[in-house]
Amino acid sequence: MATQSDPHASEFSAAELEFLAEDEMIEIVPNMRMETLNLICGDFGPFHPQIATQVPLWLAVALKKRGKCTIRPPEWMSVEKLTQVLEAERDSQKTFQPLPFHYVEISRLLFDHARDDIPDIYMVRSLIEDIKDVRFHKIGTGLEVISQRTAALKLEHLTAMEVNIVRPFVVRALQAFYKLDSPEMIQESDLRANRRFPTANHGPKRQLKR
Amino acid sequence: MSQYYDIDDIIAEDELVPAVFQVSANGVGLFDSSDETNKVEQGSKVELPFWLARELHLRQAVSINLPHCFNQKTREELAADAAHVDLRNRCPYFYELGRKLFTLVGDKTIGTLLLAAFQTRYREVLIKAQTAALAVAPKFLTLLTKEETKLYEAAQSSMVAFKKWRMGGPRFQKASVLGRKRRPFE
Repeated sequence: MATQSDPHASEFSAAELEFLAEDEMIEIVPNMRMETLNLICGDFGPFHPQIATQVPLWLAVALKKRGKCTIRPPEWMSVEKLTQVLEAERDSQKTFQPLPFHYVEISRLLFDHARDDIPDIYMVRSLIEDIKDVRFHKIGTGLEVISQRTAALKLEHLTAMEVNIVRPFVVRALQAFYKLDSPEMIQESDLRANRRFPTANHGPKRQLKR
Repeated sequence: MSQYYDIDDIIAEDELVPAVFQVSANGVGLFDSSDETNKVEQGSKVELPFWLARELHLRQAVSINLPHCFNQKTREELAADAAHVDLRNRCPYFYELGRKLFTLVGDKTIGTLLLAAFQTRYREVLIKAQTAALAVAPKFLTLLTKEETKLYEAAQSSMVAFKKWRMGGPRFQKASVLGRKRRPFE
C-alpha cells in the first residue's frame, strides 16, 4: 500500500484514494461457480457462470486477475456517454458535469486490469483524459475568483481526486486571505474610498483619469 | 495571533525595522556604533529587529517607522504591477511583518495595501503553479515571499503527486529488508 500521506501535502495520497475507490460496486460476469461470499462489508454472490452480479471493485479486480470473470464497464464508461459529457463540459464554463465520485481512480483501475473488457479502450481512455483536462482547467480558472470576501467555495460535482489535488492550495489561500482580511486591518470606509492600491498620504498625488 | 511554535512566525519577527529612540539609553551602544560612549542618545535612529522594537515600543522607549518594504516607491510599484515586484528581496515576510506592524504603527493603509497586493499576486501564483513547466518556475519563484512560495509549492506538489500516480510505476512498494540476502550467522 501507499506510504502514509505527508501531513503537509494533502489529506490523502493518490494511492489512498485509489484504495477508497475500490469499494465502489461494479458488475462482473463470472465464469466459475462459487457460493455466496460472506464478508464484513456485505454478502456477494452467489456466482454462476454467465450470470452477472455486483461486487466491489477490489473483488472484481482480484477475480479478474485470476481469470475468473469479465468486468462489465460501468454505464458512464462508454464512448457515447463520455462524448456527451465532454461536450457538456466544454460548453459550460462554470458548472461541472455529474460524474462518479471516483471516476479517475475507477478508470485507471479498469485500464490497468481489465483492458480487454472495455470496448474501444483507446477512445474511452482518451475521452476520459480529455474530460479530466477540461475539468482541471475549469477548476484552475474557477479558483481565480478567490478574494478577500471569499468565505467558502461551492464546488458542485467535483470528484475525489480533483478535490484532493486542489485542497492544499485552496486551504492555504483561504487562510492567507482570511488573515489579511480581518476586520481590524481593513476599515470599511478605507476600502470603499480606494478599492485598489492606496498610496500613503504624503508624496505627490497624481491626477489619474477617472 | 502569532503562533508560538511557528518557525516562520519567529523568523518574521527577526526582520529589521527602523526605530527612533524616544529616550536616551545607557549600555546599548552597539545599536548605534558611531561613538564610543556605549550610549544611545534620544532621537537617534537605529534598526532593530521587530521583536525588540515591539517591546521597546510598548514601553514607549522607541517609536517605530515603516521599513523600506512599505515605502512610497514599493507602493507605487505594487500598484503598477504587483505580480512582478520582487518582494522576497525587500522582505521575505512581507505580509506577516505588515500585519504585525499594523497594530503598532498608525498607518491605516497597510491593511488595504497587503490585501490588494496579495490579491493580485495570488492570481499570478495560481496561474504559474498550473501552467508553468518546472523550467520556467525558478525565475518566478525568486520574486515570491515565503507565504507565496508555500502556496505555490502546495499547488505544485499535489499536482506532481497525482501525475506520478497516474503514470503508474510499481504498484507495490517492496520493503527494503525483503530480497536482501541473509547474512550467514557467525
